[in-house]
Amino acid sequence: MLTPLQTDLASVVEGVNLVWVLTVTFLIFFMHAGFAMLEAGQVRAKNVANQLTKNLLTWSIGVIVFFLLGAAVSSIVAALTGGPATTISGAFMSLYAPAASATTAWVDWLFGAVFAMTAATIVSGAVAGRARLRAYLTYTILIAGVIYPVVVGFTWGGGFLSALGFHDFAGGMIVHGMGGIAGLTAAWIIGPRMDRFKPDGTANVIPGHSITFAVLGTLILAFGWYGFNVGTAAAPLAYADGAVTLGSFAYVGRVALVTTLGMAAGAIGAGGVAMYKTGKVDTLYVANGVLAGLVGITAIANDIVWPGALVVGLLAGAQLPVVFEFVEKRLQIDDVCAVFPVHGSAGVLGTLLYPVFAVPLWHDGASFVSLAVPQVIGVGVIAIWTFVATAVVFGGFRAVGQVRVSSAHEREGLDTAEHGVDTYPEFGSPDADTGIRTDGSGVPSGDGFMTTGRED
Amino acid sequence: MSDSDVPNDGDIKLVMAVIRPDKLSDVKTALAEIGAPSLTVTNVSGRGSQPAKKSQWRGEEYTVDLHQKVKVECVVADIPAGDVVDAIADAAHTGEKGDGKVFTFPVESAVQVRTGKTGRDAV
Repeated sequence: MLTPLQTDLASVVEGVNLVWVLTVTFLIFFMHAGFAMLEAGQVRAKNVANQLTKNLLTWSIGVIVFFLLGAAVSSIVAALTGGPATTISGAFMSLYAPAASATTAWVDWLFGAVFAMTAATIVSGAVAGRARLRAYLTYTILIAGVIYPVVVGFTWGGGFLSALGFHDFAGGMIVHGMGGIAGLTAAWIIGPRMDRFKPDGTANVIPGHSITFAVLGTLILAFGWYGFNVGTAAAPLAYADGAVTLGSFAYVGRVALVTTLGMAAGAIGAGGVAMYKTGKVDTLYVANGVLAGLVGITAIANDIVWPGALVVGLLAGAQLPVVFEFVEKRLQIDDVCAVFPVHGSAGVLGTLLYPVFAVPLWHDGASFVSLAVPQVIGVGVIAIWTFVATAVVFGGFRAVGQVRVSSAHEREGLDTAEHGVDTYPEFGSPDADTGIRTDGSGVPSGDGFMTTGRED
Repeated sequence: MSDSDVPNDGDIKLVMAVIRPDKLSDVKTALAEIGAPSLTVTNVSGRGSQPAKKSQWRGEEYTVDLHQKVKVECVVADIPAGDVVDAIADAAHTGEKGDGKVFTFPVESAVQVRTGKTGRDAV
């Protein structure tokens, strides 16, 4: 029987833990600002507003779909593959109208939602500059409602990969690996931006318009990543038998340390290989390397010995220039923001390296093979599902000719042609409509001089 | 007084120079010193004897053969165009390829918008 004081203590612990979960949720949400700046910087000035619009709508549409459909789908998929039993109506009603006792249901949902939206928003960077908005947003609906929730059902939801012992702490494979593979698949099916490859197949460099924005976005993402990783260690306090103790801080400290080491080593790895290949330390590769290091460490941050973080981060960064060159020159896929090397291959690499540096291997005598097999199977299942589902969606749009904008719109720039906005208007205030055209067309217009470039 | 006694033979001249952007400040100062502070400046790009440079995006090189320059236009009547040319050429000089060029053109007419003055008085 609890005394009133003990009951209050339990509430305090619950409250502190919930505030922590919400705090890191907000940090993870802020990663969308990072993605927006990172991607805006890596596209040309004529496509910036289009990229920002996609980022805004990924969150806005995706999060509603994840509430109405995605979260329940992950519970159902988990139940179907050996996880906690639920009914279809039960899965939906536990979100739409949770029982009075389930006070954390909606907080837990939001915590899951920010991860889901991170996975969804990665894709836009790969297909920048030519994807048609309706195709992209349809994919957003499907990734938020089905594709990502299926992966979560297999894993964090308690499905068969979880039962197998697949280890992905905060989404190195489930979120980033998945997003990177989806991005590569989408970019492959949509095809490269015009003039990205010459007729003989050699690549043209199309520089983005702002290294400054790309680096700002990188550091905002890195800041939010502390929520992503450290926040996943989600219970600072524990309450048992009338006493409050520190919760999972033993491994919270480990997560904080290896996340930091992995990020730093990633920048060094990418910058080092770029310097080896070109003789120059490339700013964008160093920035991408920060993120690749973070991706690499995310799946395993709670359970590896700390020197492993330096090795995993270094390798995750070092593979960037090599994998990017392979994707560009050999596969001839136009991955505008290097989404696959940064999120895809780095996530796969980190997840597969878990058995090499696992705490159970080094301290508890676990066998390497027993740790490695679930990782290989988990990575394989998630990669195949993501590839097939993404290929079906974008392949369908391509089959009906709706996957990319017209070449006229692409040449003009998506900002003006698709959205009617000019991200960097160069000359003063717009002219008042006097009925006299200054563009030589000789056709007076009642709608003012500014045209949207829309094809009639 | 014959025409040859007045600067520019009584005409109006346009001196147009393409210079390095980082020399603009020196050129402005030099023009102010010879009494011709009025000018128009435009960011331009172009090519001449300066070799193409390599730029890099995500570790991949591409060629930039149009270099960022600044175009300075200076219309004079009472100040000899030759003085303006000398001042610009001197202030913009580094000795390296890419210093730019200076051209002089005759100006047919001029109107000062505020006052309506025309000809040399407008300048």
